[in-house]
Amino acid sequence: MTTKPIRGLERYYEYRERWKAIISDMEKSPVPNPALLALFRLFLENDEKTIDCAENNKPFLSSWYGNAPEIYAAMGIHYICVVDNLLAHQSFTDDLAGIDANIVPDDMCGLIKLGAYAVEKGLVPTPTGMIAMLEPCDAQSVLHESWINNDAWKDVPYFALDPAYRSGKEDFEYFVGELRRMIAFLENLTGIKLDWNRLREVIEETNKQYEIWDEYNQLRRAVPCPGGSFQGSGIGWAISQHIMAGHPGATDLFRMLLADEESRYKANKGWLEKENSRVLWADLIGTVNAPIGEWLEKEHGTVVVQDFQGYTPYSHIDTSTEESMLLGLAKRNLAEVPMIRQARGNVDVFIEDVIRIVEDYKIDCVFFPGHVGHKDQSASVGFLREACRELGVPLLVLTMDIFDPRYLPMDKFTHIVNEFFETHKLGKFK
Amino acid sequence: MNAQFKSTILQDFRKTAANPVNVSLQEWKKSGRKIIGCMYHYIPEEIITAAGMLPYRMKAVGSKGTELSESCFTQINCGFVRHLFDSGVRGELGFIDGLVSVNNCDHIRRFYENWQKKIKTPYMHFMPFPKKSGREQAEVYRKELADFKNSLEKHFNVQITDTKLKKAIELHNETRRLQRELYELRKKKNPPITGADVHAVMVASSSMPKEKYNTMLTGLLEELYTGEGISDYSERIMVVGGELDDPKFIEVIESQGCLVVADSLGYGYRAIAEDVDTDIEPLTALAEYHVLKRPACPRIFGTTFNRNDFVRHIAEEFKVDGVISVRLPLCDEWSFEQVNLIGYLKKHGIPHLTLDIDYILSSTGQIKTRSQAFLETISGTKHGR
Repeated sequence: MTTKPIRGLERYYEYRERWKAIISDMEKSPVPNPALLALFRLFLENDEKTIDCAENNKPFLSSWYGNAPEIYAAMGIHYICVVDNLLAHQSFTDDLAGIDANIVPDDMCGLIKLGAYAVEKGLVPTPTGMIAMLEPCDAQSVLHESWINNDAWKDVPYFALDPAYRSGKEDFEYFVGELRRMIAFLENLTGIKLDWNRLREVIEETNKQYEIWDEYNQLRRAVPCPGGSFQGSGIGWAISQHIMAGHPGATDLFRMLLADEESRYKANKGWLEKENSRVLWADLIGTVNAPIGEWLEKEHGTVVVQDFQGYTPYSHIDTSTEESMLLGLAKRNLAEVPMIRQARGNVDVFIEDVIRIVEDYKIDCVFFPGHVGHKDQSASVGFLREACRELGVPLLVLTMDIFDPRYLPMDKFTHIVNEFFETHKLGKFK
Repeated sequence: MNAQFKSTILQDFRKTAANPVNVSLQEWKKSGRKIIGCMYHYIPEEIITAAGMLPYRMKAVGSKGTELSESCFTQINCGFVRHLFDSGVRGELGFIDGLVSVNNCDHIRRFYENWQKKIKTPYMHFMPFPKKSGREQAEVYRKELADFKNSLEKHFNVQITDTKLKKAIELHNETRRLQRELYELRKKKNPPITGADVHAVMVASSSMPKEKYNTMLTGLLEELYTGEGISDYSERIMVVGGELDDPKFIEVIESQGCLVVADSLGYGYRAIAEDVDTDIEPLTALAEYHVLKRPACPRIFGTTFNRNDFVRHIAEEFKVDGVISVRLPLCDEWSFEQVNLIGYLKKHGIPHLTLDIDYILSSTGQIKTRSQAFLETISGTKHGR
């Protein structure tokens, strides 16, 4: 007897086998990188959970990082973010070519195109329910809209969190109301009651994680920077928001990252032997960061010290009452998580973050990727220019798709940066 | 087409729609009264009317370029905001005394802040609009409307009473009723007016005092009831899209022999399908109208199904042969809308064409070619070819 394959799982089996092979190879290495090993083990564990849920009819959600994942973690409900694996495995798949053949307009963000493509082509299992995120950009909301219009997902029950635009007391309270309505939806969908004590435990674990992440960030203020370009940003965000929130394994990994950086800091050593320049990457890092960081370090002795994905100043959540926990989650998810922090409301936070990072991290120049999906940020470029002028730091404005490296090919990127550095006597021209 | 009648009223509407400034606006301004620019259709214009001011839907028709917006926007920002901002910097919209905006999209919300910084219109007000539709969201928006009302009263030293608000709602409802009457005429086998002209009439309503507009539209309707119908057209077409404020686009489509008889546009049927309730407290009625009642645009999550049904319902009611949906390049909100609509219309056997058009119309040759091919396909299907 043959059983019908479950839509979307074929790709997940592929991910699982890839993680296993990578982990096994790393374990055989004479000097395995413990942080990377821990990271890949967390990814493997997460994918195995997804497979288990889909194979055995256990409830799981499609969700996104700004939806207070601490809540479903506390309810023991597994969740996936549709695009996570597509991005993590981008170099092993032909998904980028796949999005070209899709009917979604070319001028949209690569991440959004990938998300639509994944559901359309059945690269993710159909979830039990969906929590839609309607911020920070227009495309995020309409991507979720496209999913509920997809034949495979049309019967998936969903709840959408309506974000407040401002950051006043009333706005956070409104979002608390939205979180309460989301909890009611989840309880009704799964029959699982939220255990508030368990939520307290999850939040306390995440509080620990964010404290360590903050310490890690403080060390990066040192000149020379004790950590490499984009280091911590990709890992930190992935393990705090994109796998089960409050996972103790993630806390251990944060400790590893901190210890590694701290050892160099205490020895007064930089990541580079000679640090010529320090860059702020004023956006998320996407999937283009690795070759960019490597090239900047090798060619120009330049470190990307901070970016919006790694900078997020998470604050401690008071776990004393139900209300204080929800209010803390409302603030975290509306005003602290990356991109939503800088893009949800008015332009002030974006500019204030740039100013604060440039000053605190002794930045020599700002790279503004001009990500094709961040239409609000591209319309903030006048404010950014003015802020950089006042700070006295050169600004490089690019236009790229941070989730599709083909948009601004590496050779063009390096050409632009070389010219910029030469003009401003930065990097190897210093 | 055989019924291009020489109505002077229609000519006035055409002129009004084709220019940012018009005679009525100049007269209004000359009499010392105020004009408030409105960014997009979620602004409750009735509050402005109740304040004794004229709501003006911001547009940049006839804009010659975007050079002066380049320091604040990049090439990934849409043509609508770049042309509008350019017009603002050039002073072409200097007649507005205030600007009120919602966070309709990522382009518009930053447009507002750039305008605030560079153009410095004396009165500025911003209202966040919910991203989904529900009772809680209507309540939140009602609070915003109360703040807006208070802010207008304070800045312009006016009083907006409930009586004035109710009167304004009735006036705007009357506009919508007359416009629906105009649309009814398009259901005829031989409609007395082209789609481009209907669109001009609709766009004109956003930059004229409502009393005068209603009088003119009543006059036009009288003429149309006795006018000759248009019979020499091939297919009956419906146009779907967002902030399309230039009737020329419809004119280009109709130049290929079809007649646009219906729409689901921001300036079109979506704006008039429903009235504001006059039996409840005015601000609540206005909030409920915008959040719960009127057909939403794709900005509001979870509304595709209703909007698709709305399109099909209109297509059937107006006996449409095919649907053309348009999107401004770089508009994320309308991107998936087209994808979703294609699937829906395919399921219901309604022919469909999608077009990306610039805010200031260019490449009309391409629009003509694609429309013509589309019309030929429909015609072939209709005649079993």
